[in-house]
Amino acid sequence: MTIDFRRVRTLAGRVFRQIIHDRRTMGLFLIVPLIVLTLAALLLRAGQASVPLGLIDQDEPIDVMLVGEVSLAARITQTLRTTEGVSVIALEPGPAAEEALRRGEVRGIVTFGPDFSAAARDAQHISLPVRLEGSNPMDAFALQAVLTRAAVQALASLSPLASQLAGDELPVSIETTYLYGGPAFDNFDYLAAGMMALMAIFFAFILATVTFLRERSQGTMERLLATPATRLEIVLGCMLGFMIFALTQAATQLIFMVVVLGIHYAGSLLLVFLVEALLVIVAVNLGIFLSTFAHNEFQVVQFIPLVIFPMVLLSGMFWPVEELPDLLRPLAYLMPLTYGNTALRDILIKGWGLADIWPQLAALVVLAVALVAAAAASMRREVA
Amino acid sequence: MNDDAIILESVSKRFGKLEAVDGLSLTIPAGITYGLLGPNGAGKTTLIRLIAGLLRADAGAVRVLGASMPDKAILARIGYMTQAYALYTDLSVRENVAFFGAMAGQSDRARVDEVIALVDLAERASSLVSTLSGGMKQRVSLACALVHRPALLLLDEPTVGVDPQLRVQFWSYFRRLNNEGVTIVVSSHVMDEAERCDRLGFIRQGRLLAEGSSASLRQQTGMATLEEAFLAFAEGTIVTR
Repeated sequence: MTIDFRRVRTLAGRVFRQIIHDRRTMGLFLIVPLIVLTLAALLLRAGQASVPLGLIDQDEPIDVMLVGEVSLAARITQTLRTTEGVSVIALEPGPAAEEALRRGEVRGIVTFGPDFSAAARDAQHISLPVRLEGSNPMDAFALQAVLTRAAVQALASLSPLASQLAGDELPVSIETTYLYGGPAFDNFDYLAAGMMALMAIFFAFILATVTFLRERSQGTMERLLATPATRLEIVLGCMLGFMIFALTQAATQLIFMVVVLGIHYAGSLLLVFLVEALLVIVAVNLGIFLSTFAHNEFQVVQFIPLVIFPMVLLSGMFWPVEELPDLLRPLAYLMPLTYGNTALRDILIKGWGLADIWPQLAALVVLAVALVAAAAASMRREVA
Repeated sequence: MNDDAIILESVSKRFGKLEAVDGLSLTIPAGITYGLLGPNGAGKTTLIRLIAGLLRADAGAVRVLGASMPDKAILARIGYMTQAYALYTDLSVRENVAFFGAMAGQSDRARVDEVIALVDLAERASSLVSTLSGGMKQRVSLACALVHRPALLLLDEPTVGVDPQLRVQFWSYFRRLNNEGVTIVVSSHVMDEAERCDRLGFIRQGRLLAEGSSASLRQQTGMATLEEAFLAFAEGTIVTR
């Protein structure tokens, strides 16, 4: 089959004109991703909010040899006050404490009974009664870790040697070196790759699906197919037309990330752009293909939870693909975002080049070719 | 011009259980206006789509301008005006006409303007199609079908929503095209329009009931109007030769 490139160019030009006539769509297309990215950057860089923890202290001090009078509860409290991630609130025993938990003023309550220190000394074991608010399992994880650390530290401080050597600090320090990234890299840098890949896919997908849906519903597809243009030419032409915008968007996004949001990156930005171009090709053809299964714009909107959400969840943006349940992992390898995220992360954070990321690129090329074929075939419904 | 533009030989097309075209044979000589007449659902649009190469016949042969359909290359010589407007409403009149022209290999700007003037839309050439009235859209649609100077023009209910004055204009233009050797196939369920066709085919339930000029069809049935003649054929009181 030969391809007439004049017709392909004509088709691309038409799609281009359609989009520039619709100023608002074009504006949204370029600006919305920047808003989302800014929001994500602000959120991810804000640092962790501390969990409010209530303490009821009825502990009576005990006498420790060579150290003097000690309250373990007071020591734990002191450590907690200097610990990041929790804020300590002193509570009185009684119904008021439970009420504070109910109102969400504290996320958990630790009660030190009158014989807390004595019991710990006698049993050689610290037993901390914690009552959690319980809605958010993440709080439980965070509080358990913090409390264990504080208790161990308090116990250690009972040894006269430790208290003389290091004061309140643990006699431990960690010297860190990095294979990739570095101390400056933050949570946003880690998620930036996935966000960029997602934005590129999302908007190209929506644009292609809606445009092709209209093509079918307003009857112009019928007319197009009654011209000498082949299905492949139609898909290629429309793809090129969409790509002009999608790539402009990808470039705007990349410049914005680097210049305004100041992401850290180690690899080539040109390579980043190449990956984005591949993602756009895949997304456009996925859109053309799936538009066959939608009869109106409402149904296109339903494709977002059906197609985009699973892509995000399985792409490795939040959970590494290798750690996904066996049932879901093969699905992840069908999703273009998985390869996009991995490739962009490798380039941006690890500074890898073409020689290292080619498997991801190859996978995207395979997906793109398969989807171009599927998109062209999906037009078979209407024609001989 | 002496050749037949369209030859259908025992063509059948079914959609599921529906026999849309049922063993239909038909020959349309070049340079005439042929009217396909019949009620809604008779199979007129299916027949036109078969001729335009948008459908493949289940049985029989479809030959158009000497080529066996479907044939992509021959489509550059066919102009097809669909029943719906089938236009890009977010593009201007000129952009629509120029686009469909270019798709068929006609990229002469002067020709684009000429066709737009022909359908009397020169003043609205730069307007977006979404801002036009129904009749205007119909005219743009015709311009898109004409821009590449097709040898065969397929018009599916072309004058629906077109005002009478313009309808007269359309028909005089169709006449001119015939004189230039262009073959026109028009589907319609409006009988008075059919009077203007050189030849008519009565279509019902995917079959050709009768064929001939308006005068001969009326004569055969002894009826005064085409409408009555059609009903006479449909009731089976007259058997064709």
